[in-house]
Amino acid sequence: MSDNESFLRMRTLQGIVLFIFAVIIARLAYIQLFDPRYAELAEANVLRHVVQYPPRGEVFDRNGEYLVQSRECYDLMVIYREIDKRGFDTARLCEVAGISRTKLERELANARVRPRAPRLVTSYIPKEDKLRFDEGNFRGFYTVYRTVRQYPRKIGGNLLGYVSEVNDTYLKRHPEYKVGDYVGMSGVESAYEPELRGTKGVKIQEIDTHGAIKGSYMNGRYDSVPEPGQYLVSTIDARLQLLGEELMRGKVGAAVAIEPSTGEILMMVSSPTYDPDELVGRERGNNYMKMLYNKRKPLFNRAVKAKYPPGSTFKLVQGLIGLQEGVLRPSDLHVCHNGYQAGRLKMACHAHASPLDLRFAVATSCNAYFCYVFRDILDNPKYDNVKEGFDHWKEYVESFGFGRKLGSDFLDEGNGYVPDRAYYDQQYRGSWNSLTVLSLSIGQDALGCTPLQLANLACIIANRGYYYIPHIVKEVEGQDSLDRRFYERHYTKVDPRHFEPIVEGMWRGVNVGGTSTMARLDGWDVCGKTGTAENPRGRDHSTFLSFAPKDNPKIAISVYVENGGFGATSALPIASLLEEFYLTDTIRRPYLLDYVKNMQIHYPVYDK
Amino acid sequence: MTSNRHNGIFDGVDRGTVLLYVLIVLAGFVSIISASYDDSTAQLFSFSHFYMKQLIWIAVAWVTALVVLLLDERFYHMFAYPAYFAGLGLLVAALLFGREVNGAKAWFEFGSVRIQPVEFAKIATALALARVMSNYSFSINRPGDLFKVATVICVPLLIIILQNDTGSGIVLCSFLFVLYREGLNKWLCIPILLIGSLFIVSFLLSPMVLLLCLILVCTLSEAMMNGRWRSRIIFLAALLLASCLLCLIMALVSPGTLDLYHSLLIMTLAAVLFAAGYAYRSHLTNIFITLGLFVGSMIFLPTTDYIFNSILKQHQRDRILSFLGIISDPLGTDYNVNQAKIAIGSGGFAGKGFLQGTQIKYGFVPEKHTDFIFCTVGEEWGFLGTTFVLVLLCLLILRLMRMGERQEEPFGRIYCDCVASILLFHVLVNVGMTIGLMPVMGIPLPFMSYGGSSLIAFTMLLFIAIRLDASTRQFSINQFS
Repeated sequence: MSDNESFLRMRTLQGIVLFIFAVIIARLAYIQLFDPRYAELAEANVLRHVVQYPPRGEVFDRNGEYLVQSRECYDLMVIYREIDKRGFDTARLCEVAGISRTKLERELANARVRPRAPRLVTSYIPKEDKLRFDEGNFRGFYTVYRTVRQYPRKIGGNLLGYVSEVNDTYLKRHPEYKVGDYVGMSGVESAYEPELRGTKGVKIQEIDTHGAIKGSYMNGRYDSVPEPGQYLVSTIDARLQLLGEELMRGKVGAAVAIEPSTGEILMMVSSPTYDPDELVGRERGNNYMKMLYNKRKPLFNRAVKAKYPPGSTFKLVQGLIGLQEGVLRPSDLHVCHNGYQAGRLKMACHAHASPLDLRFAVATSCNAYFCYVFRDILDNPKYDNVKEGFDHWKEYVESFGFGRKLGSDFLDEGNGYVPDRAYYDQQYRGSWNSLTVLSLSIGQDALGCTPLQLANLACIIANRGYYYIPHIVKEVEGQDSLDRRFYERHYTKVDPRHFEPIVEGMWRGVNVGGTSTMARLDGWDVCGKTGTAENPRGRDHSTFLSFAPKDNPKIAISVYVENGGFGATSALPIASLLEEFYLTDTIRRPYLLDYVKNMQIHYPVYDK
Repeated sequence: MTSNRHNGIFDGVDRGTVLLYVLIVLAGFVSIISASYDDSTAQLFSFSHFYMKQLIWIAVAWVTALVVLLLDERFYHMFAYPAYFAGLGLLVAALLFGREVNGAKAWFEFGSVRIQPVEFAKIATALALARVMSNYSFSINRPGDLFKVATVICVPLLIIILQNDTGSGIVLCSFLFVLYREGLNKWLCIPILLIGSLFIVSFLLSPMVLLLCLILVCTLSEAMMNGRWRSRIIFLAALLLASCLLCLIMALVSPGTLDLYHSLLIMTLAAVLFAAGYAYRSHLTNIFITLGLFVGSMIFLPTTDYIFNSILKQHQRDRILSFLGIISDPLGTDYNVNQAKIAIGSGGFAGKGFLQGTQIKYGFVPEKHTDFIFCTVGEEWGFLGTTFVLVLLCLLILRLMRMGERQEEPFGRIYCDCVASILLFHVLVNVGMTIGLMPVMGIPLPFMSYGGSSLIAFTMLLFIAIRLDASTRQFSINQFS
């Protein structure tokens, strides 16, 4: 080998050495200077964001009593790779956490898939058990503070709604939620979810490779404290609600009471109801399924969703429209001989004095009288034909809040149903007249109203022509007022002056002589109207509409009892007792209370 | 330099090299402090810390360096072979009686001190190689001499592989660097590198493709050495044609007994015999070397699958597969490399500061004070720190090569180059694996990784080179003064 070549080879090798170091330094420059990924990954390694769940807002009744409270409870979490490899006292852990060994083993097997990720083992560990857990010092397991709902009075199941962990479909629609969050699923809980929810906080911790906490990141500079949810003051009167639920027990139906001067819902009972505490905690799923398959459907909020035929209570609307349309004067007399006869069609009525005027017709709930009124409205010569008359009638009815959502703060409010021209055109192939749809006059046929709409009708009459949108929340913490729509008077298309004879009729029905005399309360000038809705599938539905006192009314109420018989049989006593209790704070008719409480209605429809 | 007249032990010692050495050791010590410092242990100078132990090892290493410098340079020349055989004996002893650590049966344990004989075997092999190659009659391109060299390198290599410490074994392959420097035909070096890389990917290719690659590489490198392109191309074409013909004929005579691969194999064996005869007649001895390489690879090739599946441990297989991008598993096999890259990458330009590296401190980087010590440098001192350390190492290697060039005896030159090549290989593989350039092999970063036997062995390795160099310079200094 010549010296020249030797030199060349030495240079080549030096070149190789320099080249290798250049490649290494270039690569280092890339990952240290240009690729930002690694810095982020390093943070992800070292920082653990621990969610701090806020307590959910509480709900008070109108008198400051708790309807819903938050109770602390704990989620048990595990990080698989931190578990003591030498084993731990599984029996004790199971006992403290209240879970079975198989469940623990199953959850650990799941946690093993992602050994570094925290995984939920079980929820709803009460405070006492959490303290015992802390004593046990189980490595790899830790608890997370949560709050769950608690209902001191155990009332208002459907009204208040329930809270559950977010499910997949909800997450898809609401990306701001994360797995593990609790969310209101119905009733007040869902309507006021944004207010009740509060704001989650976060605690950033530095952890080592074993997940052991090494301290807070940057001395907590980026931590945030959870903000509790706002509290709500509900318009509900807890004691009235409790009585309402007691009285409705054993019956299927709904009762709604509203303060006419504000539109505040004082009570809203849907029967059968359930103990809201049953939908909290570990047994939630089982109880929920039980309720879901219960034939009487306790989870169905009848007060705002059910469509009931209003029956005779609808005669009030009929009379008001007649007066406004000018086809009826309060003094108009009509003849009724046990019913209304037109050709072969006959609408039966009960025995009462005849002929009779509007006030007495309301008081005694005469079918024939309102058949005349209804036909006069539809066949009004002002309009070209009966269908145009029907359209006008429908407009009036809708102005009373029927056939549409009232716009309350209850999210799952139902529409009810008011039939339109198209419906009858289809039903009778286009050929129908005022006689064909005559049963509308007494609130039958296709008409469907929610108990809330009926209570709203009671408010309209109590207020002589207007209503405030019924609502269930009076005050939200930190907000001066509610939505504007709850402070506006909504007038019907009937002039307030026409209400007086109807009110008079309702007053007479209770206080002078009529169908509702049992609702009389001395000194309170109760006004009421019974309804008995025929029902193709069994006994008549019983309903009662009332407000009191006659002047400056304090409460308007509607009670609807499915298959309750005559209006006066079941709905009236319930409504009357509720009014008495609300107005006087006592019940002086224990016999009536016993009568109602002992009344158990048999429901073949629901027992199939 | 004026005081060097009295033949003191520091006479002629290359102070630049020693300075580089000291700097690198100190940088390593600082990194070990970072990697093993624990807030929760209050006592700074407790001997439970790795860095306190390392301090002792550094002291021992420096004493060793002094001893190495004290010995006469002829001593190393004389004892090269005994040292080599002692090294082999130690390796075999470790294989038989050693202790298994991380799957490699390559350790002796004396109380709390563990020694890896392979570190010292490297020194012995380097000395023996220098001794063999510095013989007067030695000529690297003569097949007999080349065979001697191959034996010196391959015997310890095989034992180390048997110990299941493949990473350390492959270090010996870096001596190719020295062989090239000493005049090994570059058309032998390149095919060796190519075949080496073929082995790494061999399990990806079919035997047929592998065989074709081997034939092509060997024939072409031979053609580059000897010229005569036309005859080589005819040789290849004839080989291909003959095997196709054989395959066809056999398909006609007895279908299914011989496929194309086996026909090619048979024809290749015939061709090897033919080529040997040709080489003998035309006195082209280098063909024998190529043929030896070819046959060696042919024998070795079918065993690579076996090696890959049986000798390599699951974790080593996974590392190779994940390095080649065939499997990806950030939490499993790739975890170490990913965490290493994250630690280095998050250091940025100037780093997080001394003792501030979160990835290191909180244990995300595995083996943070031994094999992955470079991550500590990267995270706490950033790009500046890593470049600083790499520049020191690069200067040390270049300096060693320059020391080699100025030796008068080939023994010294070859030994210096051996040291440079070992260091280069360690740096390339160790740093390369932390930044994803190399598959993970458990070999330490010279002078920096925690560990007594590694530090002492590297110190001895380096200071023998310095001692050899010093005697040359002593001589020249004495001559000119």
